[in-house]
Amino acid sequence: MILELNNIDKSFGEKEVLNGVSFTAEGGKAFGLLGRNGAGKTTSIRIIMNVFPANGGEVLLNGKPIDYNKIGLGYLPEERGLYPKKLIIDQLAYFAELKGMSAKEAVKAVDYWLDRLGMTEYRNKRLDTLSKGNQQKIQLITALAHNPHIVILDEPFSGLDPVNAMLLKDVVKEQISQGKIVLFSSHQMAYIEEFCDSIAILSAGRVAISGDLLEIKRNYVRDKLVVSTTKPERIKSDLGEACAEREDGTLLIQLASPAEKQSMMKRIVETYDIDEVKVFEPSLNDIFVEYAGAQV
Amino acid sequence: MKQFGKILKFELKGYLKNKVFVGVTIFLVAAIAIAMFIPNIISAFKSGVTTSKDLPVMLVYAEDETLSETVKEYFTQAFTGYNVKIADGTLDDIKSQITSGNVECAFVLNSSSSYAYYVNNLNMRDSNQAIANTVLQEVYRVNAMIQNGLSPEQAKDIMSVVIESDTMTLGVDQLKNYFYTYIMIFALYTVIMLYGQLVATNVASEKSSRAMEVLITSAKPTSMMFGKVFASCIVGFTQLVLVFGSALLFYNINKAQLQNPVIASIFDMPINLFIYMLVFFVLGFLIYAFLYGAIGSTASKLEDISTMVLPVTFFFIIAFMVVLFSMIGGNVNSVLMKVFSYIPFTSPMAMFTRICMSTVAWYEIFISIIILIGSTVGIGILSAKIYRVGVLLYGTPPKFTKIIREVFKKQ
Repeated sequence: MILELNNIDKSFGEKEVLNGVSFTAEGGKAFGLLGRNGAGKTTSIRIIMNVFPANGGEVLLNGKPIDYNKIGLGYLPEERGLYPKKLIIDQLAYFAELKGMSAKEAVKAVDYWLDRLGMTEYRNKRLDTLSKGNQQKIQLITALAHNPHIVILDEPFSGLDPVNAMLLKDVVKEQISQGKIVLFSSHQMAYIEEFCDSIAILSAGRVAISGDLLEIKRNYVRDKLVVSTTKPERIKSDLGEACAEREDGTLLIQLASPAEKQSMMKRIVETYDIDEVKVFEPSLNDIFVEYAGAQV
Repeated sequence: MKQFGKILKFELKGYLKNKVFVGVTIFLVAAIAIAMFIPNIISAFKSGVTTSKDLPVMLVYAEDETLSETVKEYFTQAFTGYNVKIADGTLDDIKSQITSGNVECAFVLNSSSSYAYYVNNLNMRDSNQAIANTVLQEVYRVNAMIQNGLSPEQAKDIMSVVIESDTMTLGVDQLKNYFYTYIMIFALYTVIMLYGQLVATNVASEKSSRAMEVLITSAKPTSMMFGKVFASCIVGFTQLVLVFGSALLFYNINKAQLQNPVIASIFDMPINLFIYMLVFFVLGFLIYAFLYGAIGSTASKLEDISTMVLPVTFFFIIAFMVVLFSMIGGNVNSVLMKVFSYIPFTSPMAMFTRICMSTVAWYEIFISIIILIGSTVGIGILSAKIYRVGVLLYGTPPKFTKIIREVFKKQ
């Protein structure tokens, strides 16, 4: 299964929210949709989910427009919330039924998931009697119970304790291994790096960068060096503005061009008292700040 | 369509599990039962016939003892609710008896055509004087006839002549239809007000609890809107049927005791009017419920609902008032009422009132119903569109014009 967004435009009134957004997500892999607040992530997700149509462009599954009657989509919205006063089994079964399951199937599927997430004891309780973390797990069931082809999880780990986060990780991995398209949206880069093979970073309604995460990292311009040293003062005074101290105490040295890499490494090793020198490998966080940060 | 059924079922279940709703319904049925059984209960406690001793005392006093006797005789027949006695003692005695409460009122006669009426507090609806005037006139006339040579029997015959009359109503009898028209208008008003607000609150609370985020990705807005509105319509209607059904049941059980023409006329509604009532009730309910639902979808917080529904509520109250006053005044065919009976938001009340209380040509009713059906479907579709735009808007409630622009924007 391949989900493709081709050149999607969307505006609300005068405000242009998406401008030529394109990316591709594959089944059996997780895809990270990143961007700062207001970058257009939720709008992109809503267009994929057919909540409203795009003004231009197309959403394709395996090269054809999505048949929403046949393809199941599961969605965990960032803004959590269900019916606070209703019984958990009632509302979960209702949502599964709305997604096309029969009443019987729905109850069976919901019971399976309640058991899988260790929530069976809350089956016949009202949602507002549960803790925030447990409500979150209940909400996750609305996204998964109907066994959708495409799973969209918006900030799935926020508000979960480490044990529940572990449980969710297992569930997500299971969904990926079943060949589903799993679309992540999160600001917690560590999780994205852990799960996602490819990403797209949105900035002000445009795709700033997209593709395979390793490739993006590999293609990152190799024009910075990281130096570990116990005596940073000399290097700093010699290199001036090109040298900056990082939070972990190492030094980041900006080169004039990637070609300078080897000569500079040699110079540092020979001139200064250092422990280690290596080419700077960006983390996803660094990539995110660089690409998403441009947005005003 | 499948989703519509599921939403309808879920919403209905929600109402049935709502303790307040169930409680109010039971309370209403119980209240009606009590009201209908009261005459039976009272008569069970009151054993035997009420004696004249229990009745309030009315005194009659005249210098001329024959006059006192004659008037007492006539008054006893005329004032069945009083124990009529001839006063002994002075005028002051009579006054003190009245102020002390032993005696309710007194007629002090100067002659057969002149009297003073004494009463402690004059009741707004006191008709004793009017009755006394009629009786005394009769006494005076009979006496005059006897004095002019007629026998007392002849005089009585003349006085007691009965005029026979029949009313042939070719159109409708306004008085007869008045009560159920009144009840239907009131029921429609109450149900729309209550359930309209409920629909609006229901939609807005889904939005404020963010359940909407999942809902809009799971169901079509049209199914959501129609499911909710139809559920509230079914529930409102069931409640009415329960209340009126139990009223009818209890009325039949207690029929012997309830000799009230008003109640009788309510349960004696002709079948054609009953059908019109159903049609106008359902359509009238739906058209307003759609509006309220659309408004609810544009509110982000429950607190906003009460102010946002105000324009619709105001319009509805004005329509209700116009219909009600036209009805009370018996002037149901005024130009305003005729206009109102074609405007979809007012026609359920106005046209039904006109059908009940005057003669309306069939084609007028037909046109009115067609306009109403068309508008209800139109408003339903429009409200589903507003709903789709509205449920995704958070923050300050958007301007009406902005929503309409969004709704009609080319998709």
